[in-house]
Amino acid sequence: MSSETISGPILTSDGIPLKVSLKKAERINKIRAFLLVLPLLAFILISFIIPIGDMLTRSVDDRYINTVFPKTFEIYKKWDKQGLPSEEVYKTMFIEIGEAKGFKIGKASTRMNYSKSGWKSLIKKSQRKFKKIKEGPYKEQMIAVDKRWGDPIYWKALGEMVDPTTFGYYLNAVDLKYDSNKKVIAQPENRRIYMHTWIKTFKVSLLVTIFTLMLGYPIAYLLATLPLKYSNLLMICVLLPFWTSLLVRTVAWMIILQQKGVFNNLMVMAGLIADENRWKLMYNETGTIIVMTQILLPFMVLPLYSVMKTISPSYMKAALNLGASPLHAFWKVYMPNSIPGISAGGLLVFIIAIGYFITPELVGGKDGQMIGNWIAYHLKTTLNWGLCAALGSVLLAVMIVFYWLYNKIIGVENIKLG
Amino acid sequence: MRKTIKAAFLGLISMAFIGSAYADLTFVSWGGAYTASQQKAYIDTWSKGSGITVENYNGGLGEVKAQVEANNVTWDVVDVLPDQAITGCDDGLFLKVDQSHFINDMVVKPVSECISPQIFWSYVAFYDPAAFPGKKPKTIKDFFDVKKFPGKRGIHTWANALIEMALVADGVKPSKVYEVMSSDGGIDRAFAKLDTIKDHVVFWSAGSKPLELVSSGEVVMSLAYNGRIGAAILQDGKKFNYIWDGQVLEQEYLVIVKGTKNEDEAREFVKHASSAESLALQAKYIPYGPMRSSSIDIIKKGEPYFNTGVDVLPHMPNTPKRLRRSVIADPFWWADNGAEVSERFGVWKGN
Repeated sequence: MSSETISGPILTSDGIPLKVSLKKAERINKIRAFLLVLPLLAFILISFIIPIGDMLTRSVDDRYINTVFPKTFEIYKKWDKQGLPSEEVYKTMFIEIGEAKGFKIGKASTRMNYSKSGWKSLIKKSQRKFKKIKEGPYKEQMIAVDKRWGDPIYWKALGEMVDPTTFGYYLNAVDLKYDSNKKVIAQPENRRIYMHTWIKTFKVSLLVTIFTLMLGYPIAYLLATLPLKYSNLLMICVLLPFWTSLLVRTVAWMIILQQKGVFNNLMVMAGLIADENRWKLMYNETGTIIVMTQILLPFMVLPLYSVMKTISPSYMKAALNLGASPLHAFWKVYMPNSIPGISAGGLLVFIIAIGYFITPELVGGKDGQMIGNWIAYHLKTTLNWGLCAALGSVLLAVMIVFYWLYNKIIGVENIKLG
Repeated sequence: MRKTIKAAFLGLISMAFIGSAYADLTFVSWGGAYTASQQKAYIDTWSKGSGITVENYNGGLGEVKAQVEANNVTWDVVDVLPDQAITGCDDGLFLKVDQSHFINDMVVKPVSECISPQIFWSYVAFYDPAAFPGKKPKTIKDFFDVKKFPGKRGIHTWANALIEMALVADGVKPSKVYEVMSSDGGIDRAFAKLDTIKDHVVFWSAGSKPLELVSSGEVVMSLAYNGRIGAAILQDGKKFNYIWDGQVLEQEYLVIVKGTKNEDEAREFVKHASSAESLALQAKYIPYGPMRSSSIDIIKKGEPYFNTGVDVLPHMPNTPKRLRRSVIADPFWWADNGAEVSERFGVWKGN
């Protein structure tokens, strides 16, 4: 009897092996735990991973055009890019334009227009007039419909579309492009806008971060050290603009800073500047920086405040007692203790600033537009979502690089929001 | 008792479902005085079926494309610019509509099979006469002439209409503008002309801004949407003068979003909204020019026509006399070249 029980598995009271039973109980627990986090998981998946995945896919996706002109592109690839393509290319193009039903060809022409302005109207006109062409040879007849069919530039522009995936949008986002042989070349000079805008975006974001830190640090210090009676009032002063509509604040700044605005009027009245030399503080980069600094200030003050609140006043007292000058004590004791707040505030402001859009749109005027404005333009007007996705992905990549650098230099564990 | 509550509850739920089956039509437009005029002209006069919800947007096709791609269309009828009407129709974002009831009554040929006519509006220069005690600017050439008329100019932050105006100011005939723009060096010529005022411009992006810029003296003259200037003169009693010469006329259309859940109703509504009577009635509330010839006849017969009891035709951009020195914006050109010129304009602005 005893030898039997020892050699067999241990059973529970209802005869199921204990191991199996335990496993079952554990599995139920695991499922329960999984079900508990499921809503959160689903939320992250739906609101974060899928959109970012979609963005990354769109930024390289060029399948659509390849479903409209598969045969043309097949033959096109054999063309040596000298002069005009052969009659065969013209013929398949003609056939495939005729075969494309409904909005298929329209959508394709929108895509083709990204690589060479003019494709859109060329395709539209051809689609209408090609119905009259009954038989080949097609080349001459197509050129007779519109002489652009005889212009090699249009044909060469097709070269960048012949593969279902493309890095063309990314190249576009940094002022480069493919030539007809898929070699990377620079955009013509008068279209080089994105690199310039990228640099501007980083410059403005960095300056805004520095200015918010310079303004926010003393405020946060006062907030953390003043008696509750005063600091509460000060806190309201910080939060009140935070709760005011962004548009209201932006417009208020316009009224204050424009050339015939409050600030310039006061300066002229005080005799500090001449009437004809009023300062240009609005509708340019300066305006963008000033307004963004004010709008993003609370994002710097709040993390700084919450960190400074935890720095015990006795540290400073001890340093002063030990004979350090106030400046030295601040630099050696207080400042290092507040670094987690500086990091958190700095990263927060920089991340928000880099993708800012409404304020530059309203006050940026001449040269204060940032990359967000171009993303919005292509999103809404040209419907070039591939380029939007590429610009967005570059922005994301840049943020990740910054975060990585930050982690290398200062360490992520030093970020503290409170 | 409990049964009654249950019944009432179920009733409420089913009502919610019935409500959604006859959902309101959602009409999306630009807001402000323009939407207010649409409300009075053909939303208030719409008597069939259910009500109409009005939403505002800032133009562009981003939202429409997102709704169509996600197969969750909540906008039924949208008020769009012509180049977007073309792109949207090409991309299959809009439904094709029956155009037989207006096709022979249009001032210009409709730009696509998806549109129903609305109004002409224009980019036009204007100034406060008090700013020019002596000689007053009369032509677009004067707008670009900072020697003859010193002072700052307000212009918008995008390229549309500015290219055309620069060329007209440089001596191109309004009817030849797009020919020049399509030829080699045409755009260079426009930018060269824009260079001459570059140091004297203030940029605006919101439609109300130019009025403020001129009123406050920030600029001596500015480009603006003609309806905004008209409203300021007709309703707020401001004293502004138009420079009709070289104005650029833009068209405005209604489209139905593909995948709408209220297709039949949307079609009926769009027909109503683009009828000659509706378009004429709209001119009672905003001085934009109707696109149908017969609407203009109705206005002429009814003068003084505006709701404040004054003549509205002096504020209309598309009278025959003004059309002779106007550019009618070519949406096909802009659908083709918009992105390229916009990037170039961005470079020009930033340097």
